[in-house]
Amino acid sequence: MSYKIAIGTSDGVNVDLKFGAVRAFHVYGVDGTEVALLEVREVPSESPESVDCSVNNDCSGKEGCSGNGGGCGGPSQASAKVDVISDCRCVVCSKIGFSAQKVFEKKAISVFDVECTVEEALSKITGYYAKVDGHISLRRKQDPGTQSEDA
Amino acid sequence: MAKILDKQRYKCALAAMQTVQAIDRALPILHSGPGCAQKLSDGTGSSGYFSPNIFPCTSINEKDVVFGGVKKLNSTIENSLKVIDADLYVVLTGCIPEIVGDDSEEVVTRFEDADKPVVYAPTAGFKGNNYKGHEQVVDAIIDQYLKKSDKKEEGLVNIWADVPYQDLFWLGNLREIEKLISELGLKPNTIFGYNRGIMNIDKIPEAQFNLLVSPWVGLSNVKKLEKKFGTPFLHYKTLPIGATETSKFLREVGKFAGVSEIKVESVIKEHEDYYYYLIARYADLFLENRVINKQFSVVADAQYTLAITKFLVNDLGLLPATQFITDDTPKVYHDAIREEFENLNFGIKAEVLFETDGYKIHNNIKEHDYHGYPLVLGGYYEKELTEELKGNFLNISWPFQDRVVMDTSYAGYSGSIKLIEDIYTVAVSRFN
Repeated sequence: MSYKIAIGTSDGVNVDLKFGAVRAFHVYGVDGTEVALLEVREVPSESPESVDCSVNNDCSGKEGCSGNGGGCGGPSQASAKVDVISDCRCVVCSKIGFSAQKVFEKKAISVFDVECTVEEALSKITGYYAKVDGHISLRRKQDPGTQSEDA
Repeated sequence: MAKILDKQRYKCALAAMQTVQAIDRALPILHSGPGCAQKLSDGTGSSGYFSPNIFPCTSINEKDVVFGGVKKLNSTIENSLKVIDADLYVVLTGCIPEIVGDDSEEVVTRFEDADKPVVYAPTAGFKGNNYKGHEQVVDAIIDQYLKKSDKKEEGLVNIWADVPYQDLFWLGNLREIEKLISELGLKPNTIFGYNRGIMNIDKIPEAQFNLLVSPWVGLSNVKKLEKKFGTPFLHYKTLPIGATETSKFLREVGKFAGVSEIKVESVIKEHEDYYYYLIARYADLFLENRVINKQFSVVADAQYTLAITKFLVNDLGLLPATQFITDDTPKVYHDAIREEFENLNFGIKAEVLFETDGYKIHNNIKEHDYHGYPLVLGGYYEKELTEELKGNFLNISWPFQDRVVMDTSYAGYSGSIKLIEDIYTVAVSRFN
């Protein structure tokens, strides 16, 4: 199964950009075992500010917005940015704000907020998805003491 | 083929946090997904010091599965040490970190030199139920915290019994056993409950011997203690309920510990005199009562099924139907436990089934002929069934929904009186 991974990186080597600061996503395509940079997709530049709930005025809560059942649609700026990479399976940045995470959740795009090299992120994510898609156990080391099958 | 387990009577191994919270001022730190401590909110109380709802937990998610949750665990432990005041920190791992292979043990060893002790137990849910988890936590404390000691205190006895919070009567039972042991002139040492935390754990290596009062839970712990500290142990399989069993218990412990026979017999006589005085006062109720059942079934873990069967047969003269042990006892112990059930007075032998599936247990009860109304002592799952069969039901094992018990005990002489009261209360309230 082939899919895309969007990474927020300034130099293509380290995952070092916060979601709000990303101007262009490095979009990698994964097909089987092949991983390749497909394009550097630019974000349409109508939303220069970082995605911050407190800045936007159509959101009532400031920081305690921990899930109002119906779902915070997120400020419209976040939605626009998310739409740019809505065809990707997951997004990797050094930090992703809560409202943006909610928007991704609605689109079933996984969010990874890590700080590491692009290579490490790609290898770990592709390894994980390969196992999940191939119904292989995620167990890294075999423990002889356990008594049941994969959880 | 996938099996479905109906109405299980235990929780996953991570529920060993119950064992940790039974130790005064000990704190479990969980390395698991969010919400795992929710299973502790079931009405058997909590530690009174720290609520299960706020146990420090790494609450791992997909990101930690892909990239490893070790960093999060490290910071959780570090910050718990800073923010929470406890005497012992026990790191427990849940299913997910164990599956993806997080090296939690390595993280915990980084805290070897911290101000407070930090130990680690691998209690992934799929490894077993919380009876196993209980043993694992005790093992972790023995392996990682206790140090060898040359000092041996004469008469000091470590008592290992019961699984805290899984058994509603754990606090009362432990205190009652302690009381009986101290009447023999020995010094009891337990680590669970009020005012018995880390200072009692420190005394464990100095004991003269270990006393294990349980059919199988804790056997691996006392064996480990024997190996590490050279402390001998006495394994008494039955929790003593009632005069017959308690007197036998006192005699056996007294003999093992070297207490003089005269002393043991005088303790027994004093208790038995009062016990039989109470029984004799109610002789009419016991003998003339037409509403007490003839046959009974107990649906509980190995400890209670064995203890109550012996009590009801040997002391109250009821007849055993099939008994059920629901704690998923490891197969190596089955034969030894079965033998105990055939060791009842008057040559009576009770049939015991090691069954964890509630559906099969209920079918067995429905199909059995109790020669009258059944007496069922079990978990709340059995209440509806017993009502259908117009029997008498008493809730003595997990799950507990219709009782609140704080420090009542069913063990010993006085505990058995309470049990008689409870059973006969149910019987006489039948026609009201």
